[in-house]
Amino acid sequence: MKNKFHTFLGTAILSCLIFSCKPKIDAPNPNKGNVDVTRFVAIGNTMSAGFADGALYNEAQENSFVNILAGQFKLIGGGNFKQPLISSGSVGVDANGNAPFKLGYSTDCLGATSLAPIPTTTVIDASTLSTSVYSSQGPFNNIGVPNAKVINAVQTGYGNSAQGAGNYNPFFYRMAANTASSSMLTDAQAANATFFSVMIGNDDVLAYAQAGAASDAITPSSGITGIGFDASMNTIVNTLTANGAKGVIANVPDVYSLPYFTTIPYNGLTLRQGQADSLNNALGGLFVFQAGNNPFVIEDTAVPFIGSRLIVAGELILLDAPLDKIKCNGMGSLTPIPDKYVLTLAEISNIQNATATFNATIKNIADTKGLAFVDANTFFKSLQKGIVYNGIALNTSFVTGGAFSLDGMNLNPIGNALLANEFIKAINLKFGSLIPQVDATKYRGVIFP
Amino acid sequence: MKRKLFLFIACSPILLFSQGFQVNLQGQKQQGMGGAGSALMQDGAAVFFNPGGISFLKENSINVGANAVIANSAYLDANTNSFARTTSPLATPFAAYAVWGPDSCKLKFGLGAYTPFGSIVSWQDGWTGRFALTSLKLQTIFVQPTVSYKLCDKLGIGAGFVFAHGDVELKKDLNLYDANGNYAKADLKGSTNAYGFNAGIYYQPCSKLSFALTYRSQINMKVKNGTATFTVPPSLNANVPSGPFSSSISLPSVFTLGAAYSVNQKLSFALDINYIGWKCYDTLAFDYKNNTSSLPDTKLPRCYKNTFAFRYGAQYWINDKFVARAGMSISLTPIKDGYVTPELPDANRLNLMAGLGYKIGNRFMVDASYTFENFKRKDHNLDLNLDGTYKTYISAMGLSVNYKF
Repeated sequence: MKNKFHTFLGTAILSCLIFSCKPKIDAPNPNKGNVDVTRFVAIGNTMSAGFADGALYNEAQENSFVNILAGQFKLIGGGNFKQPLISSGSVGVDANGNAPFKLGYSTDCLGATSLAPIPTTTVIDASTLSTSVYSSQGPFNNIGVPNAKVINAVQTGYGNSAQGAGNYNPFFYRMAANTASSSMLTDAQAANATFFSVMIGNDDVLAYAQAGAASDAITPSSGITGIGFDASMNTIVNTLTANGAKGVIANVPDVYSLPYFTTIPYNGLTLRQGQADSLNNALGGLFVFQAGNNPFVIEDTAVPFIGSRLIVAGELILLDAPLDKIKCNGMGSLTPIPDKYVLTLAEISNIQNATATFNATIKNIADTKGLAFVDANTFFKSLQKGIVYNGIALNTSFVTGGAFSLDGMNLNPIGNALLANEFIKAINLKFGSLIPQVDATKYRGVIFP
Repeated sequence: MKRKLFLFIACSPILLFSQGFQVNLQGQKQQGMGGAGSALMQDGAAVFFNPGGISFLKENSINVGANAVIANSAYLDANTNSFARTTSPLATPFAAYAVWGPDSCKLKFGLGAYTPFGSIVSWQDGWTGRFALTSLKLQTIFVQPTVSYKLCDKLGIGAGFVFAHGDVELKKDLNLYDANGNYAKADLKGSTNAYGFNAGIYYQPCSKLSFALTYRSQINMKVKNGTATFTVPPSLNANVPSGPFSSSISLPSVFTLGAAYSVNQKLSFALDINYIGWKCYDTLAFDYKNNTSSLPDTKLPRCYKNTFAFRYGAQYWINDKFVARAGMSISLTPIKDGYVTPELPDANRLNLMAGLGYKIGNRFMVDASYTFENFKRKDHNLDLNLDGTYKTYISAMGLSVNYKF
């Protein structure tokens, strides 16, 4: 015995000398727990689709959080996950055929050049969204459709242009099994999934918020399927669970946590004394400005006669407000910033109340249907405060925060990887599985020229 | 000889590891006995181990030794199972000593050049912690002129002035992506000189038994004019400007209590207990000269604590020429839970050592030692949010030649 030990020790030391032995650390084996991810289908909106930088494009689709999730599912027996990919040769399209943004140099009306989101190309792509790819690429596992609301997901013929502008979605036309009659839900149902993800509902408030509450409307919380949030969401989950499939559902993040709404400060009107004096003279004392930071003048039709007022702290100016007009044409001082670029306290309150109601519905469905639940709202709020991931600091600041794409509403690849990890954590917690999280450091952040 | 010694110093890269940034490879005889040697006077390594004992050395001598250290670490991320290894280069810490004094004089002089602190670690490309660290090279050389005086037959004292030179280079990736798919990089490089001392008392109540008390001072290495080089996308050159930085790292004091017992002419035992003042390493701060909103000064919490090491070993003269040694040491890590970083994935360590010595004639002796360290630690770094397990193997082989005159 002692001899054997000595032989062992001698061999160990000798092999270390010769091969300079390398340490091993055994990783725990992935484990499916109580969940079967063989056939995974994702139903969702812009976020699930892999929409980023203001457009749908190949790289962003490859980095959609559901595609990342499906990649990790392969470790516990997940199958192929098909997405309606836009050709890698195309730069990508938004609903009107515009290309995605990239960071580039832009010269403003004052002649100052700085880094800003600029179009990758100004060429309009008219063909991508008018070409169905179902027969060549489908059927699809990712039924994520940009701009789709909960009430759209159950809408028959959502890809049918005959329904008229506003009632159909060209992104869904591309991928629908039947361009005339499919709904997102019927296509998702056709996948006969063993596992599904639902992250839809934020467009039901976001479309309204994104329009400065000047157009569109928040989806009513109650009403029949296709009209009300509750019934539509219940229909989606009931349909997907009908064959016994398990799933994961995420709630709706508060608009406050998106850089689109938080980048331009309410008091961003920075004036020198001379500028303040001349504005005060021109406005005849209607509003009084001082040297330094001043609140912008915004449109508010509720104010008698003048239809404008000073914005107050807590109100939001949207990222697509025309900055050149603000800098050079007196917008926000001599003339008000139009309503469509502003969310007032009352509008914010409507949005937040709706978000809270929707999230209560989603949590209730998750609990009654035994779904894993992702608190996306809390995730985005913690990102807003700032997180550190394996030494990388990230927050929701536009561009510099590192987690959002250049449209200020959708995540970039590392942001999507972090969101996918939230789903993995929720699934592991609910179903006792052991799916490793994805190494988010392998996913890029913002690209700088 | 002096010239050669200098060359040797100038050419040697230095190393690494053995508890914090301490390198405990200062003498081959001592290393073979677990790194204990403050109370067992054998050769010129006493300049490092106990200046008080130099006056008890019977002969003048020159002692030159070097080590080859191979360290391999691995990391397994707890959340993602992402796995990475270090590809750290071979490190070669050295030690050279000269001891001289007129015959039967109570005063003796010593000179030592050695490498008591250092670290070389380089993680594989693309590893998950690369935004915290890709590589670190910390090298120090201490040069120590020393005097030792034999107060009486039983008691000697000694002290040396320490001139310390340090070089440091730290590299990491930055989360800024250029159009070609490359991450931005930071490279912080600096060097500095500093001063300290090493003093000791040697007490030998009888020929078989001896005790030691030594103190090596804390040394503050202040890098005043380091060079920070940032390789970033061109549009960010003004936001993250390369330029000078200052920083500092404090190398800890070491207080040692030692004892040695010689059973007979052949068999001796030695024990050292170190109390190491690592608490001095609280924050790793980088003060950049050209601050911007994207390049603020940084303060990285390290929060090391004072700690102990226990080193003990034995040697046995097999015959007139051969001596065999064995020893072990227990090093308690100075790094608290929540503060382990990839620059030094330290843990409590149990190290095993063995050594051999061979006399060639009356004047020469060759000594060799082998050390093996194996340690593992799971930690969730609070600052980096890096959550995983580190495991390290270290093999150190050393050889020294001693010449008596």
